[in-house]
Amino acid sequence: MGRAPDAWGVASPLEDVSGEVAVVGVGESEHTRASGRRAVDIAATAVEAALADAGLEPADVDGLLFSGGLPEQLDAAAFHAHFGTRHEIWECPRGGGMNLAATAPLEAARALREGRASALVNAFAVAWASQRAAMTGGPGQFHAQEHYKRNLEVPFGWFPQPVYFATIARRHMYEYGTSPEALGEIAVACRAHANRHPGAVMYGRELTLEQYLERPMLCDPLRTEDCCLISDGGGAFVMTSRERARDLRHPLVTAIGMGEARARTGTYWAQQPDFTATPQAFSAPPAFAMAGIAPVDVDVLTLYDPFTIAALMQIEDMGFCEKGEADAFIRAGSLRVDGGCLPYNPHGGMLSHAYVLGIAHVVETVRQLRGEAHAQVPGARVGVYGGYAGHMASTLVLARS
Amino acid sequence: MQGFPFPELDWEGTRPFWKGAARGELVIPRCRACSAFVWYPRERCRACRSANLAWTRVSGRAALFSYTVVHDVFVKPFAELVPYATGLVVLAEDPAVRLATLLVDCDPAALRIGQPLRAVFRPLPFSGPEVLAPLFTPA
Repeated sequence: MGRAPDAWGVASPLEDVSGEVAVVGVGESEHTRASGRRAVDIAATAVEAALADAGLEPADVDGLLFSGGLPEQLDAAAFHAHFGTRHEIWECPRGGGMNLAATAPLEAARALREGRASALVNAFAVAWASQRAAMTGGPGQFHAQEHYKRNLEVPFGWFPQPVYFATIARRHMYEYGTSPEALGEIAVACRAHANRHPGAVMYGRELTLEQYLERPMLCDPLRTEDCCLISDGGGAFVMTSRERARDLRHPLVTAIGMGEARARTGTYWAQQPDFTATPQAFSAPPAFAMAGIAPVDVDVLTLYDPFTIAALMQIEDMGFCEKGEADAFIRAGSLRVDGGCLPYNPHGGMLSHAYVLGIAHVVETVRQLRGEAHAQVPGARVGVYGGYAGHMASTLVLARS
Repeated sequence: MQGFPFPELDWEGTRPFWKGAARGELVIPRCRACSAFVWYPRERCRACRSANLAWTRVSGRAALFSYTVVHDVFVKPFAELVPYATGLVVLAEDPAVRLATLLVDCDPAALRIGQPLRAVFRPLPFSGPEVLAPLFTPA
C-alpha cells in the first residue's frame, strides 16, 4: 500500500474477502523429533483431529488445500486412501504451510464464492526430522540445488539458512544497534510459553536469558537457541462460510484480512536491497487495511520464526514498532503472554513448540481467539499470523465476532 | 564434474566468473548500454533491459557488508574449515553488488562491517580438485 513501484518488494493485489470464511475446526498431530513417520500420515492424523474439533465427518469435506510444492502432502487421493471415502473433492495446491497457511482462507473464500466447495480443509505436515536423520531431505535441500546459490554462495561456505540469517542479524545489529539480549528475549519468551504447552517439543526445558547468553555461538551472532527445531509434525484447519459456521459448535472465528507479498530478488537474500527487512513490509499493511485494523488492535501475534532475527524483523516490518526499534520494544517484555503488549507465539513457535512451518501457528491463533489455549491471552479478539518463506511473506488477520 | 560444495564450472550462468577466477581475475557482468552491473548474472540488464552485456574485470577492492563466524558443521564438507568466517562484501565499483565469500588471512574476532578488503585468488579449501576462487582479505 502506497509503496513505489520500484520498491524491492511487491504486494499481490487481493480481492476483499473480509469475514467471508470462518475457521471452524483445528487439529494437530503429535510433534516430535525423528519418528520414522511419513508426512502424509502425519497430515491425515491432524485432519482427523481438526474434523473432530469441528464436529464434521470426512465425507463432509469437499475441498482440500495443501502445499503442492512439497512431497508427501495430503491431496485428495491420499485423503480418500486414509479415510476410505470416494466422493468428489476440489483440490488446491496453494495451501498448507509457510506463507500459504495465511492465504489458505483466501483460496477458500474464492472456492466458496465460485461454489467449488463448501467445507474445506487446509493441511500440512513435514517429516524433516526423520528425513534429515536419513539424509534424504530437509530445509537446506532447495538452496543446495539452485544454480546461482550452488555456484556463487555454497562454494564460499555461505550456506545453509543459519548462515544467511546470522549474516542478516549482524547487519541488523550494525544498522540499528540491535542487541544479543533482544534476540535472546525472543527465544526465552517462546520457551516460557512452550513450558505452558504440554504438546511443545521443548516442554519442560527451562531457558533463562542468562543461560541463553552463556550458550556457545552456532554461527555468530546466532546460538542454537536462535534457530528453529527440526521436527516431524503437522496440523490442519477446517474452513467454511460464515453462515454455516454459526450452526457449528465453536465461537465464530473469521478471516478478516489477508495479505501477500514477495521480494523482487526472490530467495537470493544476498541481493535483497533492504537486507535487514522482510516482505512483511508489503504484506501486512494491505492485510490490516482489509481487516480495518491497526497494529495496536492486535491482541495476539504468531509469526513464522525460523530464526529469532526473522521474527524481530517481521515485528518491525508489520508496524508493531518503528523499523530499527525492535530491540527496545522486545527487551521491554512486550512479547510475553503475561503482561506484554504484544503476546507473541504463545505456543512456543518454531523455536520451542515444533518446526511444522506455520500450520501450528494458525491453529494456536484460532485457539487463542476461542479462549482455549494453554498460555491464554485473556480476552483475545484479534489474532494475526505472519507467514514468511524468505522471498514471500503473508499476513492473516483472524477475529472472534 | 566435482560435486557439492564445488561450483559447476561449466554452468553457463556463472562460467565466465569461474574462468576469470582461474586467471586471477574478478569479473562481473556489466551492461554496455547503461554501465550498470548485473548481479546475480542475468541475460538482460535489470536497469535498462538491454541484452548487450559483457563480463568486465573489476579491481577486487571491496568493503565488508556483513559476515558470520561459523562454529558448527552444517554440511560435512565444511567440517575441515570450522571455525570459518563467511559473509558478503560490496564492490568498490558499485556497493549494490554483493559477493558471497570466505574471509581469509584475518582474525575473525577483529572483523568489522565496512572495513576495506581486497580479493585474493586461492583454491577452494575443500578436499578435491583445485578450483581457484576469489576470496577476500583485509586490505
